[in-house]
Amino acid sequence: MITDMLNIISNYWLLLLVGQYPNGQLGGLANTLILSALSIALAFPISILFALARLSKWRLLRWPVTGLVYITRGVPLLMLVLWSYFLVPLLTGADVPSFVTMLTTLIVYQGAFLSEVVRGGIAALGPGQMEAAKALGHSYLGAMRFIILPQALYNMIPSIISTFVSTIKDTTIGYVINVPDLTFAASQVNNQLLTQPFQVFLILAVVYYAICWSLTQVANVIERRITRRRAGVTRGAATATLAPSKILSEQP
Amino acid sequence: MTMSAPTTQALPAIRLSNVCKSYGDYPVLKNIDASVARGEVVVICGPSGSGKSTLIRTINRLEEINSGSIVFNGQDIHAAMPPKQLNLLRSSIGFVFQSFNLFPHLSVVENVSMSPIRVKGVAPDVAYDKALKLLDRVGLAEKAKAYPAQLSGGQQQRVAIARALAMEPPVMLFDEPTSALDPEMVGEVLAVMKSLAAEGMTMLCVTHEMGFARDVADRIWFIDAGEILEAALPEEFFKAPRHPRAQRFLADLRH
Amino acid sequence: MTGFDLSAILKDPTAIAMLLHGVEMTFAIFAGSWLLAMALAITLLSIRFSPFRFGGPIVAAYVSYHRNVPTLVQLMLWYFGIFTLLPNGLTAWLSAHNAETIFAIIGLGLCQAAYFSEDLRSGLRSVRSGQMEAATALGHGYLSAMRFVILPQGVRNALPPLINHSVSLFKNSSLAIIIGAPELTHAVKEIENLSFRTFEIYLIGTALYLFFSLLIMGAGAYLSLRADPARSARA
Repeated sequence: MITDMLNIISNYWLLLLVGQYPNGQLGGLANTLILSALSIALAFPISILFALARLSKWRLLRWPVTGLVYITRGVPLLMLVLWSYFLVPLLTGADVPSFVTMLTTLIVYQGAFLSEVVRGGIAALGPGQMEAAKALGHSYLGAMRFIILPQALYNMIPSIISTFVSTIKDTTIGYVINVPDLTFAASQVNNQLLTQPFQVFLILAVVYYAICWSLTQVANVIERRITRRRAGVTRGAATATLAPSKILSEQP
Repeated sequence: MTMSAPTTQALPAIRLSNVCKSYGDYPVLKNIDASVARGEVVVICGPSGSGKSTLIRTINRLEEINSGSIVFNGQDIHAAMPPKQLNLLRSSIGFVFQSFNLFPHLSVVENVSMSPIRVKGVAPDVAYDKALKLLDRVGLAEKAKAYPAQLSGGQQQRVAIARALAMEPPVMLFDEPTSALDPEMVGEVLAVMKSLAAEGMTMLCVTHEMGFARDVADRIWFIDAGEILEAALPEEFFKAPRHPRAQRFLADLRH
Repeated sequence: MTGFDLSAILKDPTAIAMLLHGVEMTFAIFAGSWLLAMALAITLLSIRFSPFRFGGPIVAAYVSYHRNVPTLVQLMLWYFGIFTLLPNGLTAWLSAHNAETIFAIIGLGLCQAAYFSEDLRSGLRSVRSGQMEAATALGHGYLSAMRFVILPQGVRNALPPLINHSVSLFKNSSLAIIIGAPELTHAVKEIENLSFRTFEIYLIGTALYLFFSLLIMGAGAYLSLRADPARSARA
């Protein structure tokens, strides 16, 4: 069994790592990581806008985003991927690569999800910070920019990393629209071998595990550091500030 | 400290007229009519839940009111106005919170200098120097680089006072500034407040520190169930309170 | 493509039958894996709190694997991998008895157990240590204190994440399409292939998922409300 797995790795490591590249399109683990990193990098700024919209007093801003958040919370990602696969080419009129379709879906999905984390982070600061800012004459946006968001986003760093982990796991769903990622590469290997599916998918599981586990450890270390740095600020409240990230942690 | 109650001075710093506020059916403030003269120190006292914190918070519009008006420097704070004007008004009314509400992500000197820079557009180095002077004034010059988390409660509250003073407000409001402090730290905060009063700052303080009220206040407002039941000079109030509820309040305090 | 017309699907008895069957199978997978997950989660928690020395690390490893490997990959490993390693008799029996659905239930249930057991554990841990001390001081034994003081509070604390994760499980039941289980997404895809009314059938499928997810959230919110002594006393 172990020898089988080592053989598979020595024969197919390049395919698993970069797909058909440089002869064909980039795929494999490299594409999984690029897709996840791009998704989270673009979802992050969008999540802040979404969160501000949800906290806004204008219904016109609040309602559409609230609706979007509920849709992403209540509808399977797989269904949303199918929607994008159907709608993105229809709306853009272009033949869009499945990579872009998946990227679009993940940005909206994780953007909506992260916006809840931002909102939770702002709520966890309590009303005192906003009141103090107002009493000093700051405008709403000024208070957000200089006082509320710097704190909320700093506390959010572990959540962002765990959302990154979720995103890596979510990219596997691109399998249904043939996004050339690690899972896709593994199933290609499986189709060529035909006789060792268990070994192939076990390798796949181990690779995902190694990446996600390492990132989770990083998130934990940072979370402890932040908790320690904040300890004593408001005693007790410091742990409360970080609590929502755990409650909200999504599982794909 | 002058004991002459300057109630009839030409233009009061703050004038509250018929201020009413309720949460649903529950009235919190009933027809509050009062004024604070320039340079006057008013201590608001009363049992818990009497509406004294709500009252002081309406003065810089952290709470809205249902009817009446609160005029500060000739401007009605609760009138409809563009947000910018309200922010400007607020920046000229210093407010000190019971729970300090320092900004934990900023150092002490940044806490004090940030709002002058961002709100008033003061040059950073000017604001910084000013902040250091104010910190020196509240006895915390050596803590300028520290973060709020590294300070005791009393020190944090003194920073909060310096932060409010940095906006150069003609009026300071204090909402139970010593209630969240350990007993041994109350004195250092009251000392700063006393020195402010001595310099002629117009002050409104909600506090349970009756010693401070007796020594520093020009006038006491006794408030219960949303009404100012008694507004008196401290010596009158403490020696011979007129209202039965004020009498009971003082009697309870002595136990 | 012709104009938007929901009735083209809603009036087609074949499509309706397929949809209903899809909903039924989605619920079978959801309910089956939920029960499996909860039973396993409680077992895992008992092992973790048991005096058995290797209990803690074994449960931790179980949780770590299931949380760090994508659910889809876990399903693939079960269906494409482990299924092929089973003895022939068992494979034949499973193939005759809807193996896709059975493996969807096993895969999702085992994965979800990791999340449920962590939810329960952090719920219990968030009960303050003073509660156990107070119960002991009043003369409760360990089990009695657990039963009457710690568990009621711990489970209440664990409710919100348990509800969130139940919704996730419901959504994740759609992953079973990858291994060919005939659930709701599968039915939606089939109706799409038959009718070419992609927009309409996606809309119906999405609405169905959203409706049931909101139903689970609503039921969860109601449960939390009932479990909160302060609120139920006021109500």
